[in-house]
Amino acid sequence: MNTLHLSELISSWDISTTEKVDEGLKRIAAKEAEVNARLEAVLSKQCQVEAKLSGIGRAMATLLTVENDSNKLNLQIVNTAQLAESVSAKVRRLDLARCRASECQQRVHDLIDLQLCSQGVVKAINEEDYEKGAGHIARFLAMDQQLLQRTADDVQGSITSVSDAVRTLEDATEKMRELISKRFDEAVQHDDLASVERFFKIFPLVGCHRIGIEKFCGYICQKLSAKAQKELRNTQDIAKAERRMHLAFADRLTAILENFARVVEVNQPIIEAFYGQECTSLLDMVTILQRECDLEVKNLLLEFNKHRQIQYRIKQVNDSAQRSGGAGGANNSIQSTLGHYRKPSGGSIDKLNPKDIDAIIAEITVMHSRIELYFRFMRRRLQTNAETYLQDKDAQKNIQSDYERVVKQCDLSRQMQEILSTYLLFERYFMEESVMKAIGLDTYEAGQQCSSMVDDVFFILRKSIRRSLTTQSINGTCAVINNVASCLDGDFVTALKAPLKSGYPSGYIDLAQAYNAIQTSLQQGKLHSSDADRVRTNFIVQLNNADMSTEYIETLWQTMEQEIAGTFPSISPVERHLLDGCLTELKTVLDALKATVDFGIQQLRSSAIRPRLNPWVDEFLNYSHHLTEEELSTYEAGETFVQYFIVQLDGLLNSFKNALSPRNYDALVSILATEVTNRLERAIKKSTFNRLGGLVLDQEVRALGTYLTGATSWSVRDKMTRLSQIATLLNLDKVSELSEYWNPENNTEMPSWRLTPNEVRTIFTLRIDFRMEDIKRLQL
Amino acid sequence: MEDYKFLFKIVLVGNAGVGKTCLVRRFTQGLFPPGQGATIGVDFMIKTVEVEGEKIKLQIWDTAGQERFRSITQSYYRSAHALILVYDISCQPTFDCLPDWLREIQEYANSKVLKILVGNKTDRDDREIPTQIGEEFAKQHDMYFLETSAKEAENVERLFYEIAAELIGQARSKDGSSAAAAAAAQRQSEGSGSIGLGSFSAKAAQSNCCGGSSSSNTNPNTSQAG
Repeated sequence: MNTLHLSELISSWDISTTEKVDEGLKRIAAKEAEVNARLEAVLSKQCQVEAKLSGIGRAMATLLTVENDSNKLNLQIVNTAQLAESVSAKVRRLDLARCRASECQQRVHDLIDLQLCSQGVVKAINEEDYEKGAGHIARFLAMDQQLLQRTADDVQGSITSVSDAVRTLEDATEKMRELISKRFDEAVQHDDLASVERFFKIFPLVGCHRIGIEKFCGYICQKLSAKAQKELRNTQDIAKAERRMHLAFADRLTAILENFARVVEVNQPIIEAFYGQECTSLLDMVTILQRECDLEVKNLLLEFNKHRQIQYRIKQVNDSAQRSGGAGGANNSIQSTLGHYRKPSGGSIDKLNPKDIDAIIAEITVMHSRIELYFRFMRRRLQTNAETYLQDKDAQKNIQSDYERVVKQCDLSRQMQEILSTYLLFERYFMEESVMKAIGLDTYEAGQQCSSMVDDVFFILRKSIRRSLTTQSINGTCAVINNVASCLDGDFVTALKAPLKSGYPSGYIDLAQAYNAIQTSLQQGKLHSSDADRVRTNFIVQLNNADMSTEYIETLWQTMEQEIAGTFPSISPVERHLLDGCLTELKTVLDALKATVDFGIQQLRSSAIRPRLNPWVDEFLNYSHHLTEEELSTYEAGETFVQYFIVQLDGLLNSFKNALSPRNYDALVSILATEVTNRLERAIKKSTFNRLGGLVLDQEVRALGTYLTGATSWSVRDKMTRLSQIATLLNLDKVSELSEYWNPENNTEMPSWRLTPNEVRTIFTLRIDFRMEDIKRLQL
Repeated sequence: MEDYKFLFKIVLVGNAGVGKTCLVRRFTQGLFPPGQGATIGVDFMIKTVEVEGEKIKLQIWDTAGQERFRSITQSYYRSAHALILVYDISCQPTFDCLPDWLREIQEYANSKVLKILVGNKTDRDDREIPTQIGEEFAKQHDMYFLETSAKEAENVERLFYEIAAELIGQARSKDGSSAAAAAAAQRQSEGSGSIGLGSFSAKAAQSNCCGGSSSSNTNPNTSQAG
């Protein structure tokens, strides 16, 4: 390549002249030198390269050895693997053999035991050593019967002996079962508790778990029933003399349920120890006992119903409901007049006095809660039992749902529901009648703001709800809350509203009216000034009552929330919703009461405030608002309009201040302020003012504002804003001064204008000294 | 605060075993649980539906039919906005008891309560009460009427949606007569294709729309809102 390169170089050179040839030569020489140098450099590396090559050659030889070695290793590994496989196959076979050996051993053991058992069981039965015999049988039953059969087939020679032994044992088992049943029955007959328990423990050994439980429960039921009958007979006799007479049946029911609970509690360890493998044993026992429990409770309740005349009283309650219903649709608020409440409850012979059933209601709630507790106890027992003996969560759940089915289907639950039904009927009657009584006996003591009925009614309602909580029934509690709401919403609100509807008699509004009023009273032959006073007081008291009731309802609601949370700590979401749904009913009553208060205040406005206020405000028109300096000082020296007005207002408010509850009084002042400002604004608009007249007006409006603000804790300043803005306008020196006030940035301390530009212009025209063109020029 | 504009309480009453619980379950959960046990006291379900573009919360109180729960169930009548009185079309006694139920409603419920008579179990072959008899009874007592099958999910959605629509109408007319007029006008303009209020408002007068099985699918709103 170099040569080619060179020849190319040479060919390209110009060699026409000597100089140029020389120059070419020189260049060639230089090139040659350069090539030589490179050649030498390459040659100098020859040694190293050769050394490396020989190194590689040596390494090749070594690698060959390595290859041989690794081949050998591979071979060895394959061999080992084969060996291992064959060994493990042998181990497996060995294991199998060992298994069979131990199985065989087991069979031999079984055979030996079989022989022993078959010999022992007969002996034991003959000797009446039932525990030993049952132990043998238990051992026999624990053997795999099929395996035993196969063993018998396998052991050709002694087939007869094995089969014989099996047959002996099977016979013995049968015999034993019969015998134990017989002995158990005998023991029951002789009432021999020790033997009963002895045989009860043997049943599971001979594989008769279910029979054992059934027999034992039968025995217990028999005992309990006898006991219950005896005690029931005693109940009435004994209880009569004692203080707990009114709770005699509840106590009796408690005793019955406690007996059953105790049986379960005492026998649970025995069952767990001897019947442990059969996990449903406890449930079986509880189920069987439940039947007897149903029966006993039923007997007791029959006695209870008879003794406490429940059916008769239910009839009385229903009759009275129908009677009041017959009067024109029960619970229809329209027909409930005041006279209705005056009807003395318990006055007539056949009418049930709510006090009479008070004790029965209490007894019923106790009974109901006892049953609830009983079920809860059983539930807990079964749950702990299932949790200890069952690992499977589903199986635990099954036990629980099985028990729930038992609970749902048992007669006791049905009885419980009947009891609750009776309770609710009585409780409603008690509540409604007592509330009516409280309303009927409503008394008012001078100096009080409310009358007795608010406290009384809420006391009754709280009592009812509290009592419903003691039944431990959510459904019952909900129903009572509903009834409370309907009672408040119906009778109570109607009673409050009745006097409010007839209005507030405002005395003599004007002379003509007063004259007419006196004339009519004279004609009717009854002139009682106290009559109007009484109606007035009643009006105020009921208004306060309504206001107080709103507070009481909130308190009632809050305490109920707490007590419900305390009574039902583990409540399901559905039940929670149920309760909340019923509690919100109380809230609708609260709204009804607030509406009642509003209604009453409006009545006051139209009959007490407006008629009196208007003449006072109209006084304003009688004053001159065109004042000279001189007239101004005379005016200020005498009684000014605002002084007169405030005195009147003060008189009016004072007549209510102590009578009305604080909230009602505040509402009244608020309404008064609205009325005053409206009326006064109209009066102002009917008048005209000069400079000093405007000044006086501004002062007077301020004074009025100060008075009203001081009269209440409520802010009435807001209601005064419009009026004081009008006064400010009329108190201006010049129309142009308005710009200082009108622009929002200039009046940071003043609330925004409540007047429209047009209204401002209209008000300006009231100042006779303001020129029309100035007003028109205003940029608003 | 939950997002709904109206809350209505609907109470189901009627003899034991007529299928009150099944109706409620079908509507709230879309299930038909066979072998449903007797209700104890009162059960409570909530479902929010959308009718006429409004979210409405329906509180459904499913009461026990058995006599011994009467004093519990009675206490729920007063606050109900709508009462659904259910009977079993294949069981004459449940129909014969209706006057008793009406008496109870008269006594305890608000006089303005919306009353709906429902003949349930139309899937059964052994019908004992013809549709017309039920209709006539409803007409006589100023009630709406509908036949349903909780098992086949027939007319169940429609029942509750129409109640909701009717109650909205009532609530609006209470808010102000102008609003009511507007609502009424709107209803008029929507015509029969709307939520079925038209047919429902006519009470039991329109006979076949309620009894027929074909009508359940004709209502676009109902089927879509499910």
